[in-house]
Amino acid sequence: MSYELTIEPLGVTVEIEEDQTILDAALRAGIYLPHACCHGVCATCKVTVEDGEVEHNESSSFALMEFERDEGKCLACCATVEDDITISAEIEEDPDARTIPIRDFEATVSKIESLTPTIKGVWLKLEDGEAFDFQAGQYVNLHLPDDIGSRAFSVASVPTSGNEIELNIRVVPGGAATTYVHENLTVGDEIKFTGPYGRFFVKKSADMPVIFFAGGSGLSSPRSMILDLIEEGFDKPITLVYGQRTRDELYYHDEFLELAERLPNFTYVPALSDEAEGSDWEGARGFVHEAAKDHFDNDFRDHKAYLCGPPAMIEACISTLMQGRLFERDIYTEKFISAADAQQVRSPLFKSI
Amino acid sequence: MDMKVPAEKLGLTEKYHLLTRDLAWDPSYRTNKEIHPYGDFEGIKIHDWDKWDDPFRMTVDSYWKYQAEKERKYYAIIDAHAQNNGHLNITDARYLSALKLFLQAISPAEYAAHRGFARAAREYEGVGMAVAAEMQAIDEIRHAQTQIHGLSNYNKFYNGFHGFTTQRDRMWYGTVPRSFFDDAMSAGPFEFIIAIGFSFEYVLTNLLFVPFMSGAAYNGDLATVTFGFSAQSDEARHMTLGLECIKFMLEQDPDNIPIVQAWLDKWFWRGMRLLGLVGTMMDYMLPKRVMSWQEAWKIYGEENGEALFRDLARYGIRKPKGWETAAESAKHVPHQIMLGMYQWRFGTAFHVWPPSDEDMDWLSEKYPDTFDKYYRPRWEYIKQREAETGEPHLNMGLPKLCQTCQLPTWSTEPGEPEKLVQREIEFDGETYHFCSEGCQDIFEHEPEKYAGAWMPIQGLIRDFGEDVPGWMEWVNLIPGKDNMSYHGSEDEQNFKAWKAQTTASS
Repeated sequence: MSYELTIEPLGVTVEIEEDQTILDAALRAGIYLPHACCHGVCATCKVTVEDGEVEHNESSSFALMEFERDEGKCLACCATVEDDITISAEIEEDPDARTIPIRDFEATVSKIESLTPTIKGVWLKLEDGEAFDFQAGQYVNLHLPDDIGSRAFSVASVPTSGNEIELNIRVVPGGAATTYVHENLTVGDEIKFTGPYGRFFVKKSADMPVIFFAGGSGLSSPRSMILDLIEEGFDKPITLVYGQRTRDELYYHDEFLELAERLPNFTYVPALSDEAEGSDWEGARGFVHEAAKDHFDNDFRDHKAYLCGPPAMIEACISTLMQGRLFERDIYTEKFISAADAQQVRSPLFKSI
Repeated sequence: MDMKVPAEKLGLTEKYHLLTRDLAWDPSYRTNKEIHPYGDFEGIKIHDWDKWDDPFRMTVDSYWKYQAEKERKYYAIIDAHAQNNGHLNITDARYLSALKLFLQAISPAEYAAHRGFARAAREYEGVGMAVAAEMQAIDEIRHAQTQIHGLSNYNKFYNGFHGFTTQRDRMWYGTVPRSFFDDAMSAGPFEFIIAIGFSFEYVLTNLLFVPFMSGAAYNGDLATVTFGFSAQSDEARHMTLGLECIKFMLEQDPDNIPIVQAWLDKWFWRGMRLLGLVGTMMDYMLPKRVMSWQEAWKIYGEENGEALFRDLARYGIRKPKGWETAAESAKHVPHQIMLGMYQWRFGTAFHVWPPSDEDMDWLSEKYPDTFDKYYRPRWEYIKQREAETGEPHLNMGLPKLCQTCQLPTWSTEPGEPEKLVQREIEFDGETYHFCSEGCQDIFEHEPEKYAGAWMPIQGLIRDFGEDVPGWMEWVNLIPGKDNMSYHGSEDEQNFKAWKAQTTASS
């Protein structure tokens, strides 16, 4: 049984199944609603029900208070319907967001390669003639067998090679999904994924110099975004500040060296935070934010900055950028919110960083 | 996918711009500098007003619709409260002292905030900020009005509610909030918005409103609870405006950061001094207490504030200078203020009473480090002395006032709870006194501003000398009715008699 879901202020009507959440129905129709945790704790996806009734399901009573329920608010990631419904959401138009419906894909593992001692590159090939359409920087949910469930991974390859996508997956000690990928996944396996998800993509319409900050296993999105910009002939300066602990973890280092050599508008700033004293490493030693501050001489004005990496790195980079005069409106991060993050006490000073 | 996508409506931002900012114009025969003469005199540099991000998108037409609905609900409840003798549903008439303090100190402050926002709105060159400040100016006058209307019901039955407009200007504790708002209003438009829009409305507002409104709820005062709800639904807007203002100023120019930091230091300290009166109300005036002042500070001050200043650190802003001192003084301030007020109760337009044994047990539980050690012995001494002599224990000497916050210098040095603060400096041939390092710093930064302040105790001595009844008439305080102890007061007798009638069988 399906009903009609109308989304204001866009005025778009899409189908929604019984038991399907409002968020899922909207995203699958290519309409972006703000969301983060996807299980009713962070309140990012709060929308107003203009007409109709919803079931709140597992929406947390902290994320959606009683009086808000009375006022017709609901969390789109949990709310389901049993009749036609109209909602209104605080949607700002983003000229750089493409409307790409989220779909399920069936793929075959076509290649697995050890990029570093802890990171594997995994290539997933679709059937001939099929292509995965996405914006560079977006992620997919990879569905793993044995009741492991699904996990989000950013796509490391460019959209133009849509028949085969590349994921870079770091093994998390004790993590069921990443351990499965590292120890059990083999070439020829069939695997499903859903996507594309996320609002992390280059604001090409701004047409400004860009800085990418990548650390740990956060290189995938920046790499895809950089390669995509280069393919398109983007002519403003592109800088990648890329950090790992040691040289043997610094994957795709040679590729970026080669790009920097070849392209006048691409600058590569690698930094190692824990490289052994006296090794032959000649690049920066220290954290990503320190290398960036030195490289830009503490002045980040008139850039767009894209940050991807572990939370401590993101936090340090945001402070460094802000003290170097680049602020929230020009800083973009990809955040994966867990239930634990949603409990953290934050002030409402910042909305997106 | 064959989905028809109809023409999109205007985005929220575009729509709001059309209804607000785009109504502005560029002056042709006068310069911006002539029109906004105070735009740059504080040293705040604004390069690009278009970077102002509207913190909320309320237009006058939607504001009117929304507020009219709220007022309808509010006045229906106020009418019902009056018709059903709601004033007899309160726990007991001691609670009225909290309301009198609110009316004498807070409602005039709402009105002052209205004037301040209206004036600041006029000074901003950027239309986005001006429109937001104008909207808040209307809120603030509504708050003053609804509070005065709500409390006018009590004025029909009880003493001490009639003189709040005079007392704001003349009463020795009334000038504490007055000087706070006068200081903000006579500053430039950017300091005003940091003082009231950010420090007061964002950092401290919950410390003011939650205690009063939960106090009202716990003590059966439906009228006050209702204006509390009505006002609080505006607070979210006020808070987001305060946040946007500070972000905007910090982002516009690095030279703004030290200026804003100094204002945060100043206004946090001024706010904490002012809110000491709220703490006194919470710990000593509510027949049914909600939480202690120290607990309120921990929840609404420390926890929220720590999170906020962690985020502001990204800009290079640190916690206000007096932060740690404020935490320490929260253990002492309500007791010191109440001991002072009790002894000067001939000059308060509300009733006071010493804490009962039960009250004192609650206070020692809530203030385990300080109450039994420093304050219980003093209350016991006062109570014993009054029992022995049958005379009220009064302090007929007049207090020395802090030149900055205008509170009596009844507080102690941080970390030395047995040492009264004795701070004074010479300026222009005169001696000025201070209640704390924070207030002295504020004076020393702008001595001309505070040296000229009208001080109520000095005014009393100069204009009335020994003529205390003459002073009482001048401050609109009716002796024997408005002042002195609750026990034996007309308010106590009337409340008991009327309450008895409601439960009598004939």
